[in-house]
Amino acid sequence: MLPHLDRKLLRDLRRMKGQAVAVSLVMACGLAMLIMSRSLIHSLENTREEYYRAHRFADIFATLKRAPMSLTERIREIPGIAAVEPGVAVQVTLDIPGLDEPATGLVRSMPDFREPELNRLFLRAGEWLKPGRRGEALVGEAFAEANKLRPGDTVTMVMNGRLQKLRLAGIVLSPEYIFESRPGSALPDNRTYGIFWMPYEELANAFDLDGAFNSVVLSLAPGASERSIIADLDRLLLTYGGRGAHGRADHPSHIRVSDEIRVLTILSFGFPLVFLSVAAFMTNAVLSRLLALQRDQIAILKAFGFDNRQISLHYLKFAFAFVIGGTVFGALGGVVLGSRLVGMYHLFFRFPELHFRLDHSALGTALLVAAAAATLGVLSAVRRAAKLPPAEAMRPEPPANYRPAIIERTGIAHLFSNTFRIAVRNLERKPMQVFFTVAGLALATGILIIPNCFRDSVGQILEFQWDTVQRQDVSIGLVEPGSEATKHPLRQLPGVMSIEPFRYAAVRIHFGERRRQLAIRGVDPGGRHERVIDADYRIVEVPPEGLVVSSKLAEVLGAKLGDAVTVEFLEGRRRKVEVRLTGFSEDFAGLVAHMDRRALNRLLGEGDIITGASFRVDGARWQDFLRELKEQPRVSWVVVKESLRANFRATTAASIGLIQSIYLTFATIVAFGVVYNNARISLAERGRELATLRVVGFSQREVGAVLVTELIILALIAVPIGLAFGTALASGILQAVNTETVRLPTLFTLRNYTFAVLVVATASVLSALVVLRMLKNLDLVSALKAPE
Amino acid sequence: MSSRPIFRARGLTKIYGSGTAEVRALAGVDLDLFAGELIVLLGPSGSGKTTLLNQLGGLDVPTDGELWYRDLDLTGADEAQLTRYRRDTVGFIFQFYNLIPSLTARENVALITEIARDPMPPEQALEMVGLAPRLDHFPAQLSGGEQQRVAIARAIAKRPEVLLCDEPTGALDVKTGIVVLEAVERVNRDLGALTILITHNAVMAGMADRVIHFSDGKVHHIHCNERRAAVSTLNW
Repeated sequence: MLPHLDRKLLRDLRRMKGQAVAVSLVMACGLAMLIMSRSLIHSLENTREEYYRAHRFADIFATLKRAPMSLTERIREIPGIAAVEPGVAVQVTLDIPGLDEPATGLVRSMPDFREPELNRLFLRAGEWLKPGRRGEALVGEAFAEANKLRPGDTVTMVMNGRLQKLRLAGIVLSPEYIFESRPGSALPDNRTYGIFWMPYEELANAFDLDGAFNSVVLSLAPGASERSIIADLDRLLLTYGGRGAHGRADHPSHIRVSDEIRVLTILSFGFPLVFLSVAAFMTNAVLSRLLALQRDQIAILKAFGFDNRQISLHYLKFAFAFVIGGTVFGALGGVVLGSRLVGMYHLFFRFPELHFRLDHSALGTALLVAAAAATLGVLSAVRRAAKLPPAEAMRPEPPANYRPAIIERTGIAHLFSNTFRIAVRNLERKPMQVFFTVAGLALATGILIIPNCFRDSVGQILEFQWDTVQRQDVSIGLVEPGSEATKHPLRQLPGVMSIEPFRYAAVRIHFGERRRQLAIRGVDPGGRHERVIDADYRIVEVPPEGLVVSSKLAEVLGAKLGDAVTVEFLEGRRRKVEVRLTGFSEDFAGLVAHMDRRALNRLLGEGDIITGASFRVDGARWQDFLRELKEQPRVSWVVVKESLRANFRATTAASIGLIQSIYLTFATIVAFGVVYNNARISLAERGRELATLRVVGFSQREVGAVLVTELIILALIAVPIGLAFGTALASGILQAVNTETVRLPTLFTLRNYTFAVLVVATASVLSALVVLRMLKNLDLVSALKAPE
Repeated sequence: MSSRPIFRARGLTKIYGSGTAEVRALAGVDLDLFAGELIVLLGPSGSGKTTLLNQLGGLDVPTDGELWYRDLDLTGADEAQLTRYRRDTVGFIFQFYNLIPSLTARENVALITEIARDPMPPEQALEMVGLAPRLDHFPAQLSGGEQQRVAIARAIAKRPEVLLCDEPTGALDVKTGIVVLEAVERVNRDLGALTILITHNAVMAGMADRVIHFSDGKVHHIHCNERRAAVSTLNW
């Protein structure tokens, strides 16, 4: 049978259920984030690990111009290598039914008569390629889904200048393309960029690569050194146009999943910390109040021989009840949020199966952390209860010690109404309660800043990238680098208003001990399509000699304006030259470097070469332009700015929206909970005082005004702190999330701040209204009769 | 009257505060109290009655002097000893009943019997104070007299050796007060508990074995009744 002290516990809890729920919900917010992020980390890490293992994800990746298959044997001889899988990978353009613009694809080869040793595929739908059957391909799931392609459908590819119809045999996934995106693009672009697989012989034939390979992946034997093998491989591939091998740490898809895990790790610490602190504060306030109300009950229990341990435990149980409530709500919330986010991950990450896996240890951690926070929160109050000498407890609590508030002592007291005076004095007497309420409201305000800052800064990057930097409508790459004359037929495409050629060159830039691998973009002087912009949004003219790099690249290399860096070309004759830094540009993604195209070509010693071009196109002839572009044999890739933008809205913007709604929910809960709790405590503590005011003739509104004035003062203190806190928090998070590949600028808009203030104000007002309704039920007679 | 007292106080002193704010609530009390006695403590407000009761009940420790409960030195007992002493030996009844509002009459009694050494069933204790029909009512559903009788049942359910009552009728009307006092008297008789009753009301002196008059923190004089009067015969 339930001990009677526990019955008291249950009935007391039932009476204070509003506050219990408020505290539990605030706790639950932190725990939900903890459980969600730990579980997502658990899900992603394990799923990725299992996927990598089962499908033999490679350790080292390299591309090259062309090498004979016989070279494979020499690669195999490098000590420490477990498996080698050579193949062919080529860029193609595609004509997809229902898609106006040409899509770009990467086609990879599959061994003709065996399973690949590394990077094995997972068949989602349809069937595998049949040896000997021609004109078939496998397609990656993300692209197939975005374009509603099904097994048996056909796509048209421009393969090495020839149009070819291919039947899609199956839809597949690859551990190499968990994040399926255009190389160098931070955003998924699944409608216009896809990965395909074809039998080696057919693909190599089409691209004149019979008996050769232009891409190779390796796996390492246990204990092998990745660094030294990469160096050995680079040496071997040097004469075959090797573009520099890299490990998993530089693998775009791998990085993206790791980045996500990193962000989740930050969330799993930061969030619970702040939320649980506030919950601990609230628990303290609730329990302190309860202890004050039950002074005489504590005394009775002591008088009848309950010892301090029993009494402490009894009141600790109140806190534990909040913790259990918080953990239950938190676990439910964590599972729901986690499942929603796993659904969102599907937009970005492709696994054979990605389920939300509850990290059971996270549940335990949540319970422990919450219990620890609550215990810390109530320890002082419970110790006070235990210390209370029983005889002391039998006497009424001495009347609270009030004095004129600081603000009144400044000599402007006559300016204040009595209501204001009561409110201010009351606040000043309870500095801790004021502190905790302000902390809670500030937290609610602060966390609202984060998602909007995220949205604004992503918006800023894209506006910068798509509106300020890129003035072209379309960019294309050529299958083979060509002379400048190559641009003339392209100029003839319908609707072309202007065309600007460019040349990309793969390089490794060294400065001292530091180095980075990237592509230099050679542009024509006076070009107005892809502009080079500095931090002040001014156009940087690329000088006839020298290199303009992004400030981030200069920072990474540790180089200053005027320094000479070593540019090691990873193509052509693989020259190494010294180039002076002549300017800095601004960018928020990747590492970029610009040069005058002719200067770049001179350094490469290759004459007047272009690798692609950008276009501005007359909107009226847009469809004609795209139709003819699809038939251009020399085009290997196409990027249409507007479809990137549309795609962004459908994916990244949607996911930011989801995260925003989560933060909004949390902020509302915290604001509502904190205000409710504060008002309830004020009401309980001062029911007698408020009833007295009513008895002597104050109206209900006037008495309500006392409580509301307090809340307004608290909110006025909290909101600026919250805005500052949110600004710092968002800056911190953006700093933590920023990498060399994406750099989010910290941007704070008036709209962001206004939104946060409005949400917190609304939640506070609603919460205050709920409590004010209780004022109506204040029993005047009994409030006055209760022994003080 | 047995020769060995249950309580023995010598020079018992209790001082609250210090310096100018010093209040000498007990100023050297010498007293012997014996098993089964019904003692009435009389005296004006602030004369030290409640302070003495608190010392006897182990709710508070004296500043100076000696206070023995049998062989237990209440002046030197630590918190754990005092707790055990209160749990096993003492029953309290207060002026404002001090029931736990969230527990029913039966549960308020059961709360204490759960931790007592040799309790009677809560129902029996409530029966003794005439509350058998109201077992499952919450304090808010009971009248003042009924609440006080629940408090008495709570105090006696552990079969205490000592029953301490601090103005048990102070908040009650005469008629209800009589019912409560009858209950106290019956408990004293039936259980043989040393019962100490604080009151302002000199009329109640008639029901006592001994009446101790208090003033200025000291025993002024002690009066022994030859015969205890029945509560119903007291002249209010």
